[in-house]
Amino acid sequence: MLRRLTPYLFALPLLGFIAVFTYLPIAQSINLSFREWDFLSPTKPFVGLDNYRLLFENRAFWNSLYVTLLFAVISVPLRLVLALLIAQRLLRETVISRVMRGAIFLPSVTSTVAIGVVFSWVFSTDYGMMNGILAGLGVGKVTWLQDPTIALWVLIFVNTWKQLGYDVIIYIAGLQAIPPELYDAAAVDGGAKRHVFRRVTVPLVMPTTYFLLMISVIEAFQVFTIVDVMTQGGPAGATDMLVNMLYRVGFNLFDIGLGSALAVILFVFLIALAFLKSRIIGRKVHYEA
Amino acid sequence: MIAKFKATTAATLLALLGHTAMASAEVTVEFWHSFGGSSGEALAQIIESFEAANPDIKIDAQEIGNYEDIVTKLQAAIPAQRAPDAVIMEVTRYGLFADRGVLKDLTAYVDADPLKDDLYDYAREVGIYEGKNYIVPFNSSTPVLYFNKAIFTEAGLPLDTPLKTYDDLLSAAQQITAKLGESGITGIAAPGQFARWGLIMDNDSDLIDSVSGDILIDAPGTVEAYEFMASLVHEHKVASPDGVTKENNGRDAFLAGKVGMMINSTGNYGSAASSLGDNLAVLPMPCNKVCSVPIGGAGIGILTTSEKEVQDAAYKFISYAASPESNALWFAATGYMPINKKTPQEQVAVTALAEQPGIDVAINQLGFARGRPRPPVVTWMRASEYDLWQAMALGQRDVSEVLSEFAESTRAEAERLKK
Repeated sequence: MLRRLTPYLFALPLLGFIAVFTYLPIAQSINLSFREWDFLSPTKPFVGLDNYRLLFENRAFWNSLYVTLLFAVISVPLRLVLALLIAQRLLRETVISRVMRGAIFLPSVTSTVAIGVVFSWVFSTDYGMMNGILAGLGVGKVTWLQDPTIALWVLIFVNTWKQLGYDVIIYIAGLQAIPPELYDAAAVDGGAKRHVFRRVTVPLVMPTTYFLLMISVIEAFQVFTIVDVMTQGGPAGATDMLVNMLYRVGFNLFDIGLGSALAVILFVFLIALAFLKSRIIGRKVHYEA
Repeated sequence: MIAKFKATTAATLLALLGHTAMASAEVTVEFWHSFGGSSGEALAQIIESFEAANPDIKIDAQEIGNYEDIVTKLQAAIPAQRAPDAVIMEVTRYGLFADRGVLKDLTAYVDADPLKDDLYDYAREVGIYEGKNYIVPFNSSTPVLYFNKAIFTEAGLPLDTPLKTYDDLLSAAQQITAKLGESGITGIAAPGQFARWGLIMDNDSDLIDSVSGDILIDAPGTVEAYEFMASLVHEHKVASPDGVTKENNGRDAFLAGKVGMMINSTGNYGSAASSLGDNLAVLPMPCNKVCSVPIGGAGIGILTTSEKEVQDAAYKFISYAASPESNALWFAATGYMPINKKTPQEQVAVTALAEQPGIDVAINQLGFARGRPRPPVVTWMRASEYDLWQAMALGQRDVSEVLSEFAESTRAEAERLKK
């Protein structure tokens, strides 16, 4: 009996941890999304689907959804393409590539808040380094973080700069797993570099791409710290991502019911997206050469 | 040897037991506040002397962030049962917490405290919500107009340039920007939320009527004031947009000698004086249509969740912090206004008034200073206003359209919060 239970007993602490810190908060969020609560009142009256209705009628919600989608659609492919190209360059085990790998990976392990603060100053309109350089070149001031058409691009740039190192390292691992015989065979066949990259490297590194795609899409939908430090969703909602709105609604505007409804929508949306990705892209992923 | 070891062990045990007994007699008050830098040092000094006078009470002071951060963290801490015992609360934002029973009614404490007769009327008033005393003021302020004398001189502006109306401010800011813009100096810092409220009151309007509680966000005087403030940034370009997306940027640039004028709390006097030295000048708030300034700052409240013994200790500290000695030290170090009528007679305050020109400007404004309403919706209104200000100041949305929508949503929120 005890023997049969042993594996379950080993798994129990982890299951308990996941239940308490993952499933319980999810259940609590779902429950709160049907209630009205400001964190302070002793009662949490049930309001049915009111919070969801209010969200769908709210212009700020649709704006946040649009901004988040735009951020994901631009930043995810950008990250993956750049990372694959850089990983190819840094594949060889030389001193320079090792140093470069370290340098590129460094932002991934640097505090996001510190990065946000530094880049806020770099892109400051009147006192920033970027406009200082432009002034030296005779170009006028650019309102990097105040212009709604530019601010999101700045955030995409900073986020890419921070996350790129991680993607590069994962891609290097993926590329190193490709059997060299395949490249030898392609060379014997007289394949051009570009052709070999498209026909050999890209398909064989697909499992890594798929993994990074999953991770980076989730990250893009959950981006918060960079936004909070650099723009707080401004100017005028131009960088107001879903999680930023969730925080504002729940913690600054005291509407935890509405904030929870937003969290539930985000949760469902990400699950649906993961399912779609596995149906569409997952089938094209082959784990063996 | 063994005897010596036994004696040492016994002595150590005795000392430990004694220490434990002392520690258990000690009451610790967890106190959340928002003061760093020189203000934080002054507060630490007050706490130190309080603890010396009350060895059985320990104040565990924690700097949480700005007023908004305190509200956010407190709100999350309450359901988690991690709330502090005492907390600094901004004078317009504590109504919600009083209304929800989070803050203890301090009326009985205040009534029994001789301090109540020593507090200025304005200081008593800001702590009262719905007829009950919920906070005792600690740092009270009004907005004042700071300017940099060196920048004025360099821009060819006399030091007695009139700065009383919106037009005066604009004209001086334009001259500074025109003359010194190329060297990275702008005319005026984009007004922060406290300054915005002050400039609205100067225009004979308000955000919420202090008597009736009516929402005045879309009143003509308020719209006109916002149009003027927004025009400084996007139309006249005499204020940097950096101070719009991050309000502290405007203040930091002024302290760095990169901005000619700044309207801000008198609580910035200490840092401004140490940054600009003799180049700092302080003037009363402009009086565009009327002379009227908001009373700002914060007071200390006690949480209902704390034990009676801790609440008593916390009030003891609150009362001490408002005493003439503490208040004089605080006033001289920071520039926040005296809240105690006896403070100006304290030697520290006398010296500050004599040696720190401009520190008295806020006090002299008290004749036309007004406490602001503090119904629960104010906390929501202030948190929502930042984004809308950005849209107006950066010229992305029409001012009257924004304010009309904002007034409507604030009225709806006020109704929701009443339920």
